[in-house]
Amino acid sequence: MTLDPRHAWIRQLATLALVLALWEAAGYAGWLNPLFAPPPSRIGSALHDLFSDGRIWPHLEATFTAALGGLILGIIVGIALGVLAALIPFIAELLEPVMTLLNAIPRVVLAPLFVIWLGVGISSKIALSFILVSVLIFFTVFTGIRQVDRRLVERITTLGGGRWALIRHVYLPSVAAWVLGNLKVAVGFAFTGACVGEFVAATRGLGYLLSFAQSTYNAALMFAIILIIMVVVLVIFSLSGRLEKYLMRWT
Amino acid sequence: MLRVRDVSLSYGGEPVLEGASLAVGDGQFVSLVGPSGSGKSSLLRVIIGLQTPIAGIVECSYRRSEIGILFQDDALLPWKTARENVALGLTLNGMDRRDAVAQADHWLGRLGLAGFEDRYPRRLSGGQRKRVALAQVLARKPKLILMDEPFASLDAIVRARVVADVVALVEQQKISVLLVTHDLEEALSLSDAVYLLSQGPRARITQEYNVPIPRPRDPVRSRLHPSFATLYEKLWSDLSREVGGEHAQPARDDAAEAA
Ligand SMILES: Nc1ncnc2c1ncn2[C@@H]1O[C@H](COP(=O)(O)OP(=O)(O)O)[C@@H](O)[C@H]1O
Ligand SMILES: [Mg+2]
Repeated sequence: MTLDPRHAWIRQLATLALVLALWEAAGYAGWLNPLFAPPPSRIGSALHDLFSDGRIWPHLEATFTAALGGLILGIIVGIALGVLAALIPFIAELLEPVMTLLNAIPRVVLAPLFVIWLGVGISSKIALSFILVSVLIFFTVFTGIRQVDRRLVERITTLGGGRWALIRHVYLPSVAAWVLGNLKVAVGFAFTGACVGEFVAATRGLGYLLSFAQSTYNAALMFAIILIIMVVVLVIFSLSGRLEKYLMRWT
Repeated sequence: MLRVRDVSLSYGGEPVLEGASLAVGDGQFVSLVGPSGSGKSSLLRVIIGLQTPIAGIVECSYRRSEIGILFQDDALLPWKTARENVALGLTLNGMDRRDAVAQADHWLGRLGLAGFEDRYPRRLSGGQRKRVALAQVLARKPKLILMDEPFASLDAIVRARVVADVVALVEQQKISVLLVTHDLEEALSLSDAVYLLSQGPRARITQEYNVPIPRPRDPVRSRLHPSFATLYEKLWSDLSREVGGEHAQPARDDAAEAA
């Protein structure tokens, strides 16, 4: 039997439905403890509750704000520091060891520190997202600029282009390409930072809801929130994938 | 007029070039041949100004903007279309954008690339990319073109066609050319004069050959000209002696030590 790859999604969906049905049946039969693995219908109704009474929106908003804030700030600062370090050796000397250290540790361990410094509000979440993203972008830009194609630089120079032409026609597009190539990873980092920050200490956000569900042993709510986070990140992934595809249409 | 006088170049150790001299007259097509690694590219980079020689001078009657450069792998900007790449060469010279785009389309058309203006380099064949690079150079109306093995990456048939186009345009526009190549037939069939660079290190020009084949030239037909075979044989034996001379090198060093 040959499988038509175009119909893969049908088979995937059917299998998923089957697994969910078995899971549901196992719940009713009493083979699964609903405390640990609530049946899909319970997760569904938890989801429904979250949206129907509108309780979810402030949490979604908080997580989004923190993640996007950290993402944008992280990209701007990461690019700025990366460019400065690539252009000015003195700055590279100072920044490189710090960034290497920050890169070596799992940066989420900084979450409690940010809470002490910035409080339980959104600032500490933005800060965690920011630190995750900016270190990634810094290295992308810093190494990228040092590896820029010499032939392109010589080409522009021999065509009579000066420093500004080099920046505009070679360095900027190169930097944009590297950043875009890492955009998906950066988005993932940004949401990780926001959720972990909220998980550690917060009064709002998906991460906060998760820790609330945990403290009340509400597995159905927990599954529902994990599902929401997955959907949110997938949507953002596909948006940034499209942006990347459009801006990098020359590849 | 381009004149290179007694240029010596070192990358730190023993000089790669020592006292290399050559001249390209207005409208003249000159080739530089020599063993691989002798320093042909290095000499060209000195002329362009990408390397500073330790001795010697480069005299050039053309302004920087009148010199076009064509390398083996022409680095077109991958994020710019064929048209934008060609137009960039003009706007960097101060031409306004609208005129530059019109000129770019004109030259792309002349090089057989009408309809490919909006393609990105990644989506062009090797021969088409070479033509874009050529359009970029020719659109600037150069008086002198410096080429470093510009056709080496092309397959034989594409290469023959691109070379024929280049020769026709260069003759028509009376552009001076200095072509670096390791292909003796190419050098003889295209040039008015061929210089032979000796085996490095301390390479210098050891021979100059005048090629009396009349213009306009057909790069394939000119190989049938009576003087071609004689010149080819001479050039080949001189070059073989250069390459063979590499075995004589240690002997000379011994002699120097003994002295
Ligand atoms: N940037 C460089 N740094 C050090 N040595 C170089 C450099 N470029 C070329 N060389 C050396 O100079 C010599 C001449 O090289 P090149 O000019 O490329 O020769 P050709 O073009 O005739 O093959 C070679 O021995 C090569 O290894
Ligand atoms: Mg070379």
